[in-house]
Amino acid sequence: MTTLIVLVGVAVYVGLYFTYGRKLETGVVKASNENATPAHRLFDGVDYVPAKTPVLFGHHFASVAGAAPIVGPVLAMAWGWVPALAWIWFGNIFIGAVHDYLSVMASVRYDGRSVQFVASDLITKRTGKLFYYLVFFLLILVVGAFSAVLGGMFVANAAVPSAYIFKIVGALILGVLMYRTKLPFVVSTIIGIIMLIVAIWLGTVAPINLSRNAWFLIMFFYIIIAAAIPVNVLLQPRDYLNSWLLYFGLAIGALAAIFSFQGFTAPAFTSFSPIVSAGKPSPFWPVIPLIIACGSLSGFHALVGSGTTSKQLTSEKAGLPIGYGAMLFEGFLSTVVVIAVAGFGLQLMTDAGQAISAADWGSRYTPAMMATYPSAAMFSNSYAAMVATTWLNFIPRDIVVVIAGMWVASFAMTTLDTTNRLARYTLAELFLPLQTKSEGVYKFFTNRWIASLIPAGIGIWLGWSGSFSMLWPSFGSANQLIASIALLTGTAWVAKRLKTKATIALIPAYLLWITVTAAIIWFSAVVLPTTIANNPATGIVVLVIEIVMLIMNIVFIIDFLKTRNLPAPAETEA
Amino acid sequence: MSHGGKNRVIRRALEVIRSFFSTMSMAHRQQVVELTTLEMRELENMFVLLLMGSFTGLPAPPSFISVELMPYLEHELKVVNRRAENSSDALAEMAGFFDVT
Repeated sequence: MTTLIVLVGVAVYVGLYFTYGRKLETGVVKASNENATPAHRLFDGVDYVPAKTPVLFGHHFASVAGAAPIVGPVLAMAWGWVPALAWIWFGNIFIGAVHDYLSVMASVRYDGRSVQFVASDLITKRTGKLFYYLVFFLLILVVGAFSAVLGGMFVANAAVPSAYIFKIVGALILGVLMYRTKLPFVVSTIIGIIMLIVAIWLGTVAPINLSRNAWFLIMFFYIIIAAAIPVNVLLQPRDYLNSWLLYFGLAIGALAAIFSFQGFTAPAFTSFSPIVSAGKPSPFWPVIPLIIACGSLSGFHALVGSGTTSKQLTSEKAGLPIGYGAMLFEGFLSTVVVIAVAGFGLQLMTDAGQAISAADWGSRYTPAMMATYPSAAMFSNSYAAMVATTWLNFIPRDIVVVIAGMWVASFAMTTLDTTNRLARYTLAELFLPLQTKSEGVYKFFTNRWIASLIPAGIGIWLGWSGSFSMLWPSFGSANQLIASIALLTGTAWVAKRLKTKATIALIPAYLLWITVTAAIIWFSAVVLPTTIANNPATGIVVLVIEIVMLIMNIVFIIDFLKTRNLPAPAETEA
Repeated sequence: MSHGGKNRVIRRALEVIRSFFSTMSMAHRQQVVELTTLEMRELENMFVLLLMGSFTGLPAPPSFISVELMPYLEHELKVVNRRAENSSDALAEMAGFFDVT
C-alpha cells in the first residue's frame, strides 16, 4: 500500500501538472516568453537578477517547505488516511498550487511587487494594510505552535535537541570556514555535511534530557539571540546545512516509501468528527484546512513567491514549474508523512503501551499520539520505522529517528528565530501612524529588542501554557486567512487585468474563504471556551486574535465584493 | 536492448543524477549568497549615509571627499531610488529572505 500510494501520488501530481497546470498557464495567465520578466527588464544585479529555473525551483522550494507540511498531516491522521490524503491532493492541486502560481505571476506582471501591493491596487488600500495585521498575528501564533511542537519533540526524543545543539556548533564553524578562510566552497560544503553527520551521531550518543519548561526557556533566549547576531555567523551556514537535510530527508523518505511494500495499519476513514483539536470532536469540514495548512495551501507562499521569486524568474514559462510545481512537491512531502504514519503509527503507539486499535483510532489517535510521540516525534519515529523495512536499513534506526527529528526541528527553529526579524518590520509599519502623534510610543514598540520580545515572548508563553492541539489550528487559521486574501487577490488580478476566465481561481477562492471563516467560528465557539475554562489567560489571548482576524476577514470580503466589478486603475499597471 | 543502447541509458541516467546534484548545490549556494547580499545591503546603506550624510545634517566627511567618491555610488543610487519607491512594500521580500514556515 505504501508503494502504491506513492506511485498514485506521483501519477496524480504529474498528470495534473501537465493538464490543469498547463490550462492555468495557457488559458488563464497566458504566460508567454515574449513578455520580458522583471529580472530582465529591471535587471540591477542586486534585487532583480534572472536565475536558472532549476536553481530558482530549489531555492523557492527550500523557502516554502518547512516543518508545517510535516506536522499538519500527522495531526490530520485522526480522520484516517483517506481524508488526510484527499485534502492534501485536492487542496494542493486545485487551491494551494493555483494560489502560489497566481501570486508569482501577478507579481511578475507587477514589476516584482508583492501580492500585498496587488491587493492594495486592485481591491482597496485597506486590504493591503490587513496583511500587516494578519502577518503579525501569524508570527505570534507560529512561534506558539512551533515551540509547542519542539517542546514536545525535545522531551520525547532527547537525542534531537542534542544533535541540534551540535549542529549549531557545526554551523558556527562552517561560518568561519566560509567567510574567514580561503577554503574552496566545495571543501567547506563537504566539511559542513560531515559535521552534520557527526552532530546527528553525537546526538544519539549524548542525548540531553531536560524538562519541557527548561526547553521553552532555552528556546526563548535562543530566538532572541539568534535574531540579533549577523546572518553570516549563524543563520546563513545553518540554513545551508538545513537545505541539505531537507533534500536528503525527502530523498530517503521517498525511496523508503517506494520500497517499503507495507500495508496500512491505520484505518482509511474513522468518522466525520474524530477527536483532533483540544480533545473536541472536530468536523472534517471546515476544520481540515486549519490542521493541514502548508502541505495543502499556505498564505506565506504568496509572500515568498511575490517577494523574492518573482524578481528572479527568468521567463514567464518558468513560472509554472516554480509557482505551481514547487507546491505540488511540497504536497508530495506531506504524502510521504501520511504514508509513514498510516503504515507504522499504530505499531509505535501500541509498542509504547497505548490501548489503541484501528477500530477506535478516531477517538484514541490524538490522545495516544500526544502521550507517546507528540506531533513531529510521531513523524520521525514512523519515518524511521518505514526506512527500517527497506534496503536502507543499513542506516541504524536511532540515527534515522534523529535525522527526521532534526529535519523538523531545524525548520521549526529557523521559523522561530526568523519571525523576530519579520515582526520588527511589521511592527514598524503598524505603528507608523503613531510616529508623529506619539513618538515615544512609536520608538518603544519599534525598538529592536522590544519588537523582538513581543512575538517571541507572547509566542513562547502561548506554546508553554497552551496545548499543541489548540495552538496548531490557531496558527492554521491565520495562515489560511492570508491564503484566502491572496487567492482572492489573484482572482481579482485575473478578472481585472488579464480579463480571462477567472472561474478556475474564483471557485477555490470562495470555497477557501467560506471554509476558513466557518472554521474560525467553530474554533472560537467550540475549542476556545474549554481552553478559557482551563487556562483563562492563554485562551483569551488566542480568542482575541481569532475574533480580530474574523472581523478583518469580513471587512476584506466586503471590500472584495464591493470592488469586484470596478475596473482596475490604469496608471499602476507595470 | 543492445549493449550500446544499455550503455547510453546508463550514461544518460548518470548525467541526470549528476545534474540533479549540481543543481541542488547551486540552489543552496544561491540561497546562501542571498543572505550575504542582504547583509551587504545594510553596509551599503551605511556607506551611502556616510557620503550623503552632510546633505541631511549628519556628521560626515568633508563635502569634497564625498563628491569625489560619489561616482562610485551611481548604480547604488539607482537601486536606492527604486527601493525608496518600494519602501512600503518590503514585507513579502523579507518573507522570501527569511523562511517562516
